[in-house]
Amino acid sequence: MSDLATAIVFWPAVGLMLAAAVFVFITSSMARAGLLLLASLAIEGLVFLALGSRFLGFLQLLMMSGEMVIMVFFMVMFMPDPGGLMGMDMTHDKRRSATVAVAVTAALGLVAVLTDWPARVVGRGAPDVRAIGFEVMGRSMISFLFAGMTILLAMVGGVLLAKHGGRFGLPAAGDEQSGEHSPPEERS
Amino acid sequence: MSYFTPLAVVGLALAAAPGVWLLEQLVAGQRPAPGRALRDLRIMLGSPLQRPESCDSALFHLAPSLLVLASVVALATVPWAPGFRGIDLQAGALLFVAALAYVTPAMVMAGWGAGRPLAVLGGFRWVALMLAYAMPLAMVITSVAAPAGSLRPTDIVRVQHAVPMAVAQPLALALWLPAVTAVCFLPPFDLPQAGGELFGGVFAEYRGLDLALVALAQRVLLLAVSGMTAALFLAGWEWPLLPPAVWMGLKTAAVAWLLLWAGRRFPRVAVDRALSLAWRVANPLSMLAIVYAGLLTLLFYR
Repeated sequence: MSDLATAIVFWPAVGLMLAAAVFVFITSSMARAGLLLLASLAIEGLVFLALGSRFLGFLQLLMMSGEMVIMVFFMVMFMPDPGGLMGMDMTHDKRRSATVAVAVTAALGLVAVLTDWPARVVGRGAPDVRAIGFEVMGRSMISFLFAGMTILLAMVGGVLLAKHGGRFGLPAAGDEQSGEHSPPEERS
Repeated sequence: MSYFTPLAVVGLALAAAPGVWLLEQLVAGQRPAPGRALRDLRIMLGSPLQRPESCDSALFHLAPSLLVLASVVALATVPWAPGFRGIDLQAGALLFVAALAYVTPAMVMAGWGAGRPLAVLGGFRWVALMLAYAMPLAMVITSVAAPAGSLRPTDIVRVQHAVPMAVAQPLALALWLPAVTAVCFLPPFDLPQAGGELFGGVFAEYRGLDLALVALAQRVLLLAVSGMTAALFLAGWEWPLLPPAVWMGLKTAAVAWLLLWAGRRFPRVAVDRALSLAWRVANPLSMLAIVYAGLLTLLFYR
């Protein structure tokens, strides 16, 4: 693609991607939040394609569809208000998290702007590509495997912790119900 | 890529509807009645859209379009003949799987958007089923790509010049066929809609154009997976005597016939049984298939 065509695809796609990402935090419906996140990440895949990275773009599209749908599944299963109809506020500790978010965004932005990116395009079959392949499949493999196992453990642990209390948390002292507890308004 | 290619793919997608319909009638042993089918289609398109009683009717109405988009992109990656091949990319087989992966969010959107318990259940069933079958599907693609050393479907067809992949890797084909039947939500894996069990499930609320789009998407999906099966396992156009496109058409029709016939022959698989089969049998076997493909590649294809 020419530079102009890339720019025509790139900027609107990036705008849409960011808009979808912002809406993830505005909506209180778990299903909408998950699907908007999927939309955002799928558009990111299209941005990769626009920048000429086909394999990465397809991989992003492929992985994100499955992963985000699984996330929707788990959020609907475990959240007390999956449809966002009870007006429950999912955020907490707002000032501190906003500070951290702004600081991290600024730091990453600075890194992106100040880094001296190489201007040279690496062609197919270049020694760099080979070297990355050997690095990923060789020495770095053990860290990837370790990271994968850690993520799996974290997922299983998270599910166990959430399952213990059921969807609406552990029963309070006076509650009669046991097991899967009923939502607050049905209790009295 | 010329401007002709997208037009040809869209034309093929539109031709899928009557083509697969005809095949369905033949498999069912009924005499095709195009007049009645056209009248049914006109009634379907003439009826108004259903507005679901949920807050997410946007998701509900977006889902059929996403299904059609995913199926047409999948169809575009199929190599029909040496000259005609839609999107012929280095990573075409990966794009095929990526396109099929978008059937899953479409199902969840349809189920959730309908706002009915059985529809939501159908959508979530589909997630569980596709989660279980995603790995075998990806592994089988990798297994058939390994001998060609390329994810380009055209290269995978060429490497089968001597031996079709169905003969070289029967295990991969055995894992592939149920997985793609499930992707097309065809019986015996029609779990998200499940006629007598979920009463239409995810698609129960669809009327009019929405329903027509779902029906079209399912047939385009069937054409796409049959074409891809013919290309990846039955050597595509690589057989003598007949012109390449004719071979490809015959093989695609044969695979589609087989899938439709299996749907009529076997009862619907219970969802727990389908999941147990996928996790306990298909997933371990797909690991075996990829090791076998590696050995095969090292011994015979280098």
